[in-house]
Amino acid sequence: MPILEVQALSYSYPDSPGPSLHGVNFKAEQGEFILVTGPSGCGKTTFCRCLNGLIPNSYGGDFRGEVIVDGLATTEHPVTEVAQRLGLVFQNPENELFCTSVEREVAFGPENLSLPRSEIKSRVDEALSSVGISHLREKSPEELSGGEQQKVAIAALLTMKPKVLVLDEPTANLDPLSAESVVNILAGLNRRSKVTIVLVEHRLEMAAPFADRCVIFDNGTISHDGPPADVLYSDGVDALGIGIPKVVQIAKILAAGLGFEGRPLSSRELSDMLEGERKEANIMGRRADV
Amino acid sequence: MRVLRGFDYRRGVTVLHKLDPRAKLVYVILFTALTIIYYNSLLLLLLFLSTVPLVLIAKVGRRWIQSIKGSYVFFILIFAFNFIFNANLTAWPNINAIGAAVASVSMVMRFMTLISIFSTFFLTTAPEDLTQSMVQLGVPYDYALTFNMAMRFVPTLSREAQIIVDAQKSRGLEMEKGNLVQRVKNFIPVLIPLIVSSFRRAELVADAMESRAFGACEKRTTLYVLTMGGKDYLFIIISVVSFLLILSLKLFFGVA
Amino acid sequence: MISFEGVYYSYSDRPGESALDNINLKIEDGALIAILGENGAGKTTLIKHINGLLKPQRGRVVVDEVDTKKTTVASMARKVGLVFQNPDHQLFAETVEKELSFAPVNFGLPPEEVNKMVEWALREFALLPYRDRPPFLLSGGERKRLALASVLCYSPQILILDEPTTGQDSGQKVRLASLFRRLNAEGRTVIVVTHDMEFVADFIPNVVLLSHGHLLAEGPAREILVKKELLENSSLTPPQLVELSWDLGLESPSLSLEEVVSAIMKREGSGT
Repeated sequence: MPILEVQALSYSYPDSPGPSLHGVNFKAEQGEFILVTGPSGCGKTTFCRCLNGLIPNSYGGDFRGEVIVDGLATTEHPVTEVAQRLGLVFQNPENELFCTSVEREVAFGPENLSLPRSEIKSRVDEALSSVGISHLREKSPEELSGGEQQKVAIAALLTMKPKVLVLDEPTANLDPLSAESVVNILAGLNRRSKVTIVLVEHRLEMAAPFADRCVIFDNGTISHDGPPADVLYSDGVDALGIGIPKVVQIAKILAAGLGFEGRPLSSRELSDMLEGERKEANIMGRRADV
Repeated sequence: MRVLRGFDYRRGVTVLHKLDPRAKLVYVILFTALTIIYYNSLLLLLLFLSTVPLVLIAKVGRRWIQSIKGSYVFFILIFAFNFIFNANLTAWPNINAIGAAVASVSMVMRFMTLISIFSTFFLTTAPEDLTQSMVQLGVPYDYALTFNMAMRFVPTLSREAQIIVDAQKSRGLEMEKGNLVQRVKNFIPVLIPLIVSSFRRAELVADAMESRAFGACEKRTTLYVLTMGGKDYLFIIISVVSFLLILSLKLFFGVA
Repeated sequence: MISFEGVYYSYSDRPGESALDNINLKIEDGALIAILGENGAGKTTLIKHINGLLKPQRGRVVVDEVDTKKTTVASMARKVGLVFQNPDHQLFAETVEKELSFAPVNFGLPPEEVNKMVEWALREFALLPYRDRPPFLLSGGERKRLALASVLCYSPQILILDEPTTGQDSGQKVRLASLFRRLNAEGRTVIVVTHDMEFVADFIPNVVLLSHGHLLAEGPAREILVKKELLENSSLTPPQLVELSWDLGLESPSLSLEEVVSAIMKREGSGT
């Protein structure tokens, strides 16, 4: 059974002239790393809020269709219950972190679940170390950099032991090095604990190499959904206003100019593929000589 | 805005930081009572000075000074209002200038002492510890948390206010010139973004809390529990004894 | 012209640390320049000195022959427009129209001129349909546009933007870049503080690199953003094309897609 299932989802915010989402169908299996992108205002944030139940439970509005998280329909279960299976990380850590120490921040979730103290302590220790911030335990979130704050936000959700982590542009306000660090942590979590990751991200070149799937939203609905190479190399994707990685642009030109057939998502892949084609050309050349 | 520095808790390892908030609360309540009971400016000055050793032990001198200095506007206002109130102006020119001045100074001293006591408390007490102590004293968690949030976001708000002032100054808002009416009007372009931003933030924080199962269970457990130790009881005893000694000045020596 | 002469500044709550240390920098009229550096490098501190929000503790900042220490921010603002990162820190008026008129009215401009500027801004930034709407009801992207419009409407000689590309998709970035070029063509200076290395590599010709309050380098982007050591010392990631050039072992790393492609084609074509 898929861990996440969205069927015919349509949604309009209260007092809004039109729907922010319409006819959205989406599935995710446990352990997938899914990259979500799309031009501004296409409904990505709304989609994230629908996934953890904030829509429709906290936001009201006109909600149609179904969102099922680990077997729970978001319209029939409170956010607090869905939140134990799906964690949502937002863009701006300053609005997510509201305690004065990292340790307490990370403990907030399990405390709400009324878990025994020893369980809370072990979950906090585990979450801090899996995100690599155990050394920040005693610090106040105010003292941390943006990247560290986002890691605290991630750790704070990991203590809920979610099966899915949804992150809505978590690196938007971060400098490139911190952004890379956060994405690497997510990739690590996905590999080791098989947490399903749904990452909304503009910097495709950073995240695409880790992703199993790439989903593009356009005007409130999903226009592309498939393996990153398939999606990013498909025709018409350039017109959507998303940041196509330079390596993809280069590969497309090389395809026209050199008959290059590879579909690399990173410079390492491009380099390997070029070498592969070169070797093949040499072999072919030698065969022709013979 | 500088007065808010006095409520900006930072982690510390001094004795005062480690005391149980309930012990510190006893001190705050008793000494607040003393500042209210007494009118004598000299005594109030001594009460004010008695908070200084605590500030030094807690090593929060810089922020404490900033908050006292930042309150000068309030001191001026308090002095002015009390003076007008007490000076019997209708009997001009036979106004009671000396009496009014004495009463006003004493009000200012009282206010200054209160700021010192409260800011010493807030500078050395983590908001979560305060919330925890309130819960352990029987306050419902929701109320304690509201209080906690308010405190936690005070530095955020004051930082944002500064950014907004900068942003509006950069659009030609002249904040340093103009008469009183003009200056009050000039606060609107600063106040409104601050209020709107706070409402937006409140929604986002609420989302974040719900996303961590806030409200899932009737009763929460906590990672840490506050327990009173030897030092806490000692602090309480010292506070109570000091309180009684100072109170005796009124009861037995008629000091007002 | 903007000139920093021996500027030193440190914040009052971090007295030991210098936010800006001996900055000497000249920015000519009509420049299009990006200020780069890791968090805490001093970028925001630097731009706040240009419109006088901060005054140097040592040295001086001179903008068009006016020393910033000798005048107020509000009077500098007539010449230097500063657009902050978060539009919600600026928007407060009852309607979009009133919001746009805020700055020109503050400068004491006559009503006819203010109206002309507001009409221009409404059209230029596609805000006409929102004229009478409260700014808070606009979407995030629209609010960012409105904040930019409300500074550009009075046509400042120098425009400074703090992280203008966060939350913008690639189409919007292209439009922003062409706006910058148009402003340059009019002789106006545009200064951008940003983390967005791709945006800089694609659209901004000149860069200034800051690290720990020091000026590490300044000059053409195509010369500076290809130097590995310089980028490492400023804790910056290289633009994608530069990283590609290094990984593929190309002889001359470049910021231009065409140059990289032709370098690859040349190498592959020769069959080595």
